[in-house]
Amino acid sequence: MLEFVLCIIMVLSAILALIQKDLLKAAILTGFSGGALAVLFQILLAPDVALTQAIVGAAIVPVFIALAVKKTQRSDD
Amino acid sequence: MAQTQLAILMASVALIVIGVYSAIFIDNIIKKIIGISFIEEGVNLFIVAIGYKAGGVVPILMPGMDTTWFASNAAYPLPFGLVLTSIVIGASTLAVMLALVMVLYRRYGTLSTKVMLADTSKQEEYNE
Amino acid sequence: MNELIPIMVIVPLMAALLISAFSKFNKATKIFAFVVAICLPIIPLASNYGLHYFGGYAPILDNVTNVMYHPAITYSFTFLQQIFIAIVGLLTFLVVFVYLTKYKKVSGPYLFLLFLGTAAVTAMILTDDIFHMFVFFEILALAQVGIVAASSIDYSYEMALKYMILGSIGSPIMLLGIGFLLALTGSVNVTDIATAVHNGLVDITSPVFLMSLALIFFGWLYASGLPPFHTIKSGVYSKAEPHGAALLQSFTVISMISIVLIMFRIFSTLPIFEVLIVFFSILAMILGVSLALTQTDFRRMIGFLAVGELGFIGLGIGLGTTFSLTAGLFQALNEILITALLFIGFGAIVEATNEVDTRKLGGLLAYHPKVSIMLLIGGMAMAGVPPLNGFQSKLMLVQASLNCGYPELSILAIMVSIATFVVFVKTFYTMFLKPKPKDLELENKEVPRSMIFTMGVLLIIIILLGIFPDVVTTGISNFVGGIL
Repeated sequence: MLEFVLCIIMVLSAILALIQKDLLKAAILTGFSGGALAVLFQILLAPDVALTQAIVGAAIVPVFIALAVKKTQRSDD
Repeated sequence: MAQTQLAILMASVALIVIGVYSAIFIDNIIKKIIGISFIEEGVNLFIVAIGYKAGGVVPILMPGMDTTWFASNAAYPLPFGLVLTSIVIGASTLAVMLALVMVLYRRYGTLSTKVMLADTSKQEEYNE
Repeated sequence: MNELIPIMVIVPLMAALLISAFSKFNKATKIFAFVVAICLPIIPLASNYGLHYFGGYAPILDNVTNVMYHPAITYSFTFLQQIFIAIVGLLTFLVVFVYLTKYKKVSGPYLFLLFLGTAAVTAMILTDDIFHMFVFFEILALAQVGIVAASSIDYSYEMALKYMILGSIGSPIMLLGIGFLLALTGSVNVTDIATAVHNGLVDITSPVFLMSLALIFFGWLYASGLPPFHTIKSGVYSKAEPHGAALLQSFTVISMISIVLIMFRIFSTLPIFEVLIVFFSILAMILGVSLALTQTDFRRMIGFLAVGELGFIGLGIGLGTTFSLTAGLFQALNEILITALLFIGFGAIVEATNEVDTRKLGGLLAYHPKVSIMLLIGGMAMAGVPPLNGFQSKLMLVQASLNCGYPELSILAIMVSIATFVVFVKTFYTMFLKPKPKDLELENKEVPRSMIFTMGVLLIIIILLGIFPDVVTTGISNFVGGIL
């Protein structure tokens, strides 16, 4: 049951990230998607991949995007 | 548990489709890059789903486990190893792209691809 | 000495890391880079043929099905790999030499990217493991982007970002194709996959197999810059520094042939595979030459001509006989040499005149006679004028397509060669022979000696290969006989 919820969270937050006007919110939603993916990897019997994905997908990638947004502009127009 | 695998395949296809759509049609360059990271996530999810075995165990051989039972019940670990590499590659590609975007933003003052990545050969003709 | 096989990848990789770490010691870095670069062509020539299993995991024979399994990442080193690695090593040496003599203060990151790219293509052509190839394909893409972005030409960052965005759509799609193959066969070793396909363990008419062909093929089109990626590829060449562009095109050619050889071994049972390759190759030939005719920037023109020449390689491989594959691979070798010569030669002209528009140039023959004569011979080699090496490989290609019963293809190949010749002669005339325009100011700048030396070395190899093609074709033909 959990995997269905995670799939839905992942796809929904991906779509929400792309229709967001505020790029910082988009970065945070990317992190949501990456974190859900990490838990999904754990359910799919791949704990090592889940650890890497949790660090990279839920922390590093959103931070990179947020830094780029800070150095450029925040709103999407 | 075929339902789990079906749901996961559908989710990965959805991620890839969302990513390709945004990489092609969205104008904002940072959103394009976010979309590209979704393509990578979708592909990773698909490859991990190949190795998954319904009702299986994690492919780590603990002391005291029966080897034949383990061999027939563990998930297939080769795709997991591939995905580990692929995640790191994706993150580094993303970092390089964002660095290029930051340099280009200083020159153009906008994140719009139509301005930033307009056909350079035409731009040179305008300059003449 | 099979230990030398992984050394071919390790030496440029380690050199890249060390140079970028210690680049503040200018003099030491220069000497170190020079020494490593001189080693690169020597190692493959000194090494013996053979296989190398990483971690020492030798193949396992399954007693039930009587099939060999390869658990380790395998490097196979034969004559084909030897000649291509030696050529790309020589080219890296020449490019590093040109770079070191051009600038007093060397840039560590730039040398890092050059060596990283060389290591990546070396691993791509050596490896027998499709995922290993994908990893180095990604590294190569990053190195290429870096080489373009590091150049001082206008709009190089934009071109680098564009190439990278296309690349990061193309390479996950290729990975998805590899994932399909993995799901079908449970292995990423090319020999294992090919055995499974040829023994009928995989249903070759299944949509999954066809889909994996389509996805990997898309990645191949991106890697080799065939249509629809020909514009971006020629743009990338024109935005890199000339010596960088000379190396970039060799990376493109080698990644193209290494991916296509892997695809050939896996998918050659599908009839549509060869049709697809021939179709895109013909498209590349026609589009490359016709777009080259319309260009006024001569760097861009060479870029389009280089894409057009890639079509000849694809044609040879798509025909699928031993003779045509030999011809295609020989053409690949020739193209690396000829296009490098042209890029470096035209780069020398840019350096001396600071002008890239052919309409504003003229009368350069009197100022740079050596460069112009060498460029003329290089262009003739590209167009296929006897007795140069381009003639030998194109003759083989025309014969191969006649032998396969497609005279249309040979006529097309000859027409494209003639068109290449026309493009080249037109550019040569406007740049070197036509009277000098009044507003062109030529400061009496000398072309750097290192560039002349580089062109001379490449020209000698071009002429030698033209007179003695058997030195290479016999070995390549043996290799092709092994994979068919």
